[in-house]
Amino acid sequence: MLSWQRTAFHFQPQKNWMNDPNGPVFYKGWYHLFYQYNPNGAIWGDIVWGHAVSKDLIHWYHLPLAMVADQWYDIMGVWTGSATILSDGKLMMLYTGSTNESVQVQNLAYPADPSDPLLIKWVKYPGNPVLVPPPGIGAKDFRDPTTAWLTSEGKWRIAIGSRINRTGITFVYDTKDFINYELLRGVLHGVPNTGMWECVDFYPVSTTGEHGLDTSHNGPGVKHVVKASMDDDRHDYYAIGTYHEKNVTWVPDNPEIDVGIGIRYDYGLFYASKTFYDQNKKRRVLWGWIGESDSEIADVKKGWASLQGIPRTVALDTKTGSNLLQWPVEEVDSLRLTSKEFEKIELKPGSVMPLDVGSATQLDIVAEFELDKAALEKTAESNVEFSCSSSEGSAERGALGPFGLLVLADDSLSEQTPVYFYIAKGKDGSLKTYFCTDQSRSSEANDVNKSKYGSFVPVLEGEKFSMRVLVDHSIVEGFAQGGRTTITSRVYPTKAIYGAARVFLFNNATGASVTSSLKAWQMNSAFIRPYPDDDDERHSGTEPTHEVRGSKTKYLGNLLTSSLLFLNARNNFL
Amino acid sequence: MKAILFVFPFVLAVAYFPISQCQNLPLIEQTCKQTPYYGLCVTSLKSDPRSKTAGDVQAIALIMVDIIKAKAGGSLQHIEKLKQKYPALRVPLSACKDRFNAIIIGDVPQAVEALTKGDPKFAVDAANDAALEADSCERGFSGKSPITQMNKLNHDISIITASVVKMML
Repeated sequence: MLSWQRTAFHFQPQKNWMNDPNGPVFYKGWYHLFYQYNPNGAIWGDIVWGHAVSKDLIHWYHLPLAMVADQWYDIMGVWTGSATILSDGKLMMLYTGSTNESVQVQNLAYPADPSDPLLIKWVKYPGNPVLVPPPGIGAKDFRDPTTAWLTSEGKWRIAIGSRINRTGITFVYDTKDFINYELLRGVLHGVPNTGMWECVDFYPVSTTGEHGLDTSHNGPGVKHVVKASMDDDRHDYYAIGTYHEKNVTWVPDNPEIDVGIGIRYDYGLFYASKTFYDQNKKRRVLWGWIGESDSEIADVKKGWASLQGIPRTVALDTKTGSNLLQWPVEEVDSLRLTSKEFEKIELKPGSVMPLDVGSATQLDIVAEFELDKAALEKTAESNVEFSCSSSEGSAERGALGPFGLLVLADDSLSEQTPVYFYIAKGKDGSLKTYFCTDQSRSSEANDVNKSKYGSFVPVLEGEKFSMRVLVDHSIVEGFAQGGRTTITSRVYPTKAIYGAARVFLFNNATGASVTSSLKAWQMNSAFIRPYPDDDDERHSGTEPTHEVRGSKTKYLGNLLTSSLLFLNARNNFL
Repeated sequence: MKAILFVFPFVLAVAYFPISQCQNLPLIEQTCKQTPYYGLCVTSLKSDPRSKTAGDVQAIALIMVDIIKAKAGGSLQHIEKLKQKYPALRVPLSACKDRFNAIIIGDVPQAVEALTKGDPKFAVDAANDAALEADSCERGFSGKSPITQMNKLNHDISIITASVVKMML
């Protein structure tokens, strides 16, 4: 049961604890992912930087730890940071270190050998730290530097989250060399009563297209997103607004849904997220840390904890203009194996229909739903505000919902995870759609999270209700209306596992029939594994074609070369 | 004689006023007021001599984590004794042993690490989990638990700890 929980195509280390994604970047043909890692156990602690590489954001190879806690300025933790690629191709990594006195400082690191596409070895700038908490700021309220962006004056600018009393803020610094910094007057933005802002992210989005923009991009047809992870409520919030470079401020389009009080990237488990600009495919990609929602005893037994969410592209929703769209990266589609298609299945009120999709623990499902127009118009108005989390879940029957999918369900439905829509008719007769995931019956275990997640999702005139659901053992990710609202859940069934897992369509509404068309694919494993020890292709930067247990001498020879290059690199940077 | 009359008020004054400072009551009371179990919070902290010199909420939190650890350890010993006394309850008692072990080897180290290294939210998680483990242990008896009071105590001090750490966020 516990071993079943490991995922097939989501990034996770072979064992132990992981949290925040760090320094994601595309460099010399490889996607890099670093991450907060505990090499000693399945709990948070002894944090260092893990490292993995991939050609396609899906098939990952584990590499040795990139950075460990070996300096006074990061001995208490090598914490979160971000990568910046300079105009000349140099790669700079800024990260937070917890010092020997538990003060949060910012440090600079860079590749020991910039010509090594795998970026195995890293050097910490000997003059670290490059930034310490500004006057008046708490020693433990200063962390998670962003990727830098270039100003029109040719300086690099970064943001770092903090707080003043209960107001979450982000500082901005300018630098020319990533060593000396100028703290700019004031803050980029702050929102009262939001608490400490962790993992701040700041990036431009195009208002005219779905392509991503380089972090430094600015000009017409651009809005800027400010995102922060709220230490208080463990959710990631973003807001869209306008960046004014000259006076170093950012103003939200709608202050009522400002950072920390408005829209979340994801309405389930999703924290410490970070984007990067993928210059390879001209898109912006979002990573998020997905923790466990089971109990510690299980994590200790299974010997691991946490996943990274499936990487998503993120762009402005040009149809609404007021939210982002997130969608699994297209390379996920390469995992699709056999599929089953279902056309226009009619679900009368109160019906559940099994879907014969074969194995149901690794699935990609794309589903569309339509309600008959008459039912939508006939339904009485209600002035009760609906909320996924305070509802009775999929058992709460309304006139126009809930309807959707039951995943990781067993034949008897004693275990089931509904991912569904619920349409409420407001006071003025307008329809408001909610997208929810209900964990209340997801497992017969009584020590796992059983709450309901979800939120409102905009549905525009003429649109059908659509969702995409990725099921990968103990993680379920739902994307509604092309990614306007997303929900990530961790579920731990005891019965609906292996060959006993099923998928159903359901309509638990009282007043409307639902017609659904869907396609479900079996998903292959991503075979995430260590990078082969000895490989001729290693330094040529091509992907290993097969695992070779070769001689150690070649590896040591490469190590020696790397060390010499490291010494050279050090000299170049000092 | 007169000297005693003269000195006595001062003795009384010394006896009354610095006591509150010696026991660090303002910090303890202020902190415990913001937890769901004020009385238990105060008595638990007062029973630990370190609370007299605790300077801030973080120090209070660390003491509470130590109390979780001590209570969990004591619970484990008690469970071993009960296994002998109630062989019919062997299965749920073994499950409880695993739960309290998880508190000691997982939750407590994570909480200490988070508090000392400066990322307290992970200590909130650990304390909440400790409460959950105690709850799960109790549920394993389906209503016929011989350790209900013990489990409630473990649960409550864990909840107190979580709310103390939350004050640091």
